[in-house]
Amino acid sequence: MNVNQRPTVFLVDDHALIRAGLRAELSGHVDVIGEADEVAAAIEMIIERSPDVVLLDVHMPEGGGLAVLRAVTKVRPNVKFLALSVSDAAEDVIAVVRAGARGYVTKSIEGPELVEAITRTAAGDAVFSRRLAGFVLDAFANRPQENSFAPALDPELDQLTPREIEVLRLIARGYSYRDIAGQLEIAVKTVESHVSAVLRKLQLSNRYQLTNWATERHLL
Amino acid sequence: MRIFTVILALFFALGVAAYMTLWILLPRQGEATSILTRTVNDRRDKEILFAVAIAVLTLLIAFITMGVGLPGVTLWFLALCCLAAVMVWRGASNDEKESLSQLSTDLAKLRIGRNDGWRAVALRTGFGIVFIIWGISLMSRVSGENGAAKFVLGGACALVLGLFVLFAPWWIRTFQDLSTERRARMRAQDRADMAAHVHDSVMQTLSLIQRAADDPQEVTRLARQQERDLRSWLANPEKFGAQSTSSRTLSQSILDVESEVEDNYGVSVDAVIVGDAPLDDSLLALIAACREATLNAAKWSGTREVAVFVEVEHDKVSVFVRDTGCGFDPTAVAADRQGVTGSIIERMRRHGGTATITSSPETGTEVELQLPRASHSS
Repeated sequence: MNVNQRPTVFLVDDHALIRAGLRAELSGHVDVIGEADEVAAAIEMIIERSPDVVLLDVHMPEGGGLAVLRAVTKVRPNVKFLALSVSDAAEDVIAVVRAGARGYVTKSIEGPELVEAITRTAAGDAVFSRRLAGFVLDAFANRPQENSFAPALDPELDQLTPREIEVLRLIARGYSYRDIAGQLEIAVKTVESHVSAVLRKLQLSNRYQLTNWATERHLL
Repeated sequence: MRIFTVILALFFALGVAAYMTLWILLPRQGEATSILTRTVNDRRDKEILFAVAIAVLTLLIAFITMGVGLPGVTLWFLALCCLAAVMVWRGASNDEKESLSQLSTDLAKLRIGRNDGWRAVALRTGFGIVFIIWGISLMSRVSGENGAAKFVLGGACALVLGLFVLFAPWWIRTFQDLSTERRARMRAQDRADMAAHVHDSVMQTLSLIQRAADDPQEVTRLARQQERDLRSWLANPEKFGAQSTSSRTLSQSILDVESEVEDNYGVSVDAVIVGDAPLDDSLLALIAACREATLNAAKWSGTREVAVFVEVEHDKVSVFVRDTGCGFDPTAVAADRQGVTGSIIERMRRHGGTATITSSPETGTEVELQLPRASHSS
């Protein structure tokens, strides 16, 4: 993405009303270069137009957002995905995040916040909502009795550093990245890199809680 | 070739043996290996073959000791045929398996056929009657004979076989009809439940929303309430409506606080909960303090959103209630004001916890509640 340019965005959602609403909220801040309402068309058009960010509805028929993400990522690894979900239950989006989405937002998100999330995604950073942060804290918590039959933990991937836990807690408490940077007396960029590191762990870790969420819902 | 062998087999049992042997030894047209080599090369197949051989052998010995009067040669011949059949079944190529299974379903149709032609019915009735007569005649000969047991056994077998052949189709169809009907009834029941629930909740809310269309706060409140309602129903339809009377864990109680404040003040309270714990006295106090802090934020902060974060760790429980509203000066609150001092700070201190309030006009207000935990098991 050119720094001076506004990020290009592609919308995938099977509800016309939602697409229209998103377009209205985003106009003037980012360039919406296309939209699709079903999986096959979405894959084709995203590969053709190669946007910076795809706003992806998680709950779609015919394999849903996950199918789009997998198909596009194979051909266009540079396209970044931001998952969009009606529900703010993290287990609904955990499979999409693990498949490569840079984060997720709920459909009730306010316009300016959505623009900020898209800009952040386009820059390659992770977008964590309060609930996703809470979920990650929960999934990475050390509960010995639950892990006794799980595979041995890889400290690189399966454990959070104390700093990462601090950052996640502040996100869960409702602080913005800027507030967090102020509280911890670090740069905003550092906060972003902590969150990106957590996203990477979330995607690659084999922790029982993470794989379990996905398999329980037949999403892996 | 096969037809010829079948004809031959009708006259000479040898034909069957020859056919089986050829089938096993010779590769099929267009295939590289024969059934024999495939079977020998597969460990599992060999094991199965071995097991079947033992079973057949046991059966043979049982027959011989019982003194069933089959000529020895026929007996051994039958046993070998059984083994060969198993070998063919395990080692057959996919094409062959398909044609074999086609054949067996055809046979099954003849016997149990759903759309019984008169021929199938006649055939079945004939078989059944023959078996029954055979069984009865065998059993009636028991008196005055030596080795009567084998006749009783054989007769009983024939009788059961005959009854089975006669009544199996009818029995199976009754069983199928029963389960189909049961499934249909369950589906109808589900649909009725669904319709009832949609009517009780969604329809009512929609009509309320229509009436309150000019009050956005009321519409939001109704919509959120309905959303929460539907979500909990979707997650757990059986327990729906039952859990409102008593909530037994921390997370359920916090969610109750969330919905109570949302419903009464029209703000959105978003609770993120990490971990859970069974309720005890001090946790109840924590929840009461949390409720008070959330109420204060809803009433005074001026924002529409309150963020609640609850984390249960092994040694403590932390609660953060945050809003980005107008803020206030905690030191300026008079010590006798019940809302903050009594309901939050004092209450937490009585149970060995702490309450910290940070507030400023720029960043809003955050109430932090900490409660150490006695060594719980989880």
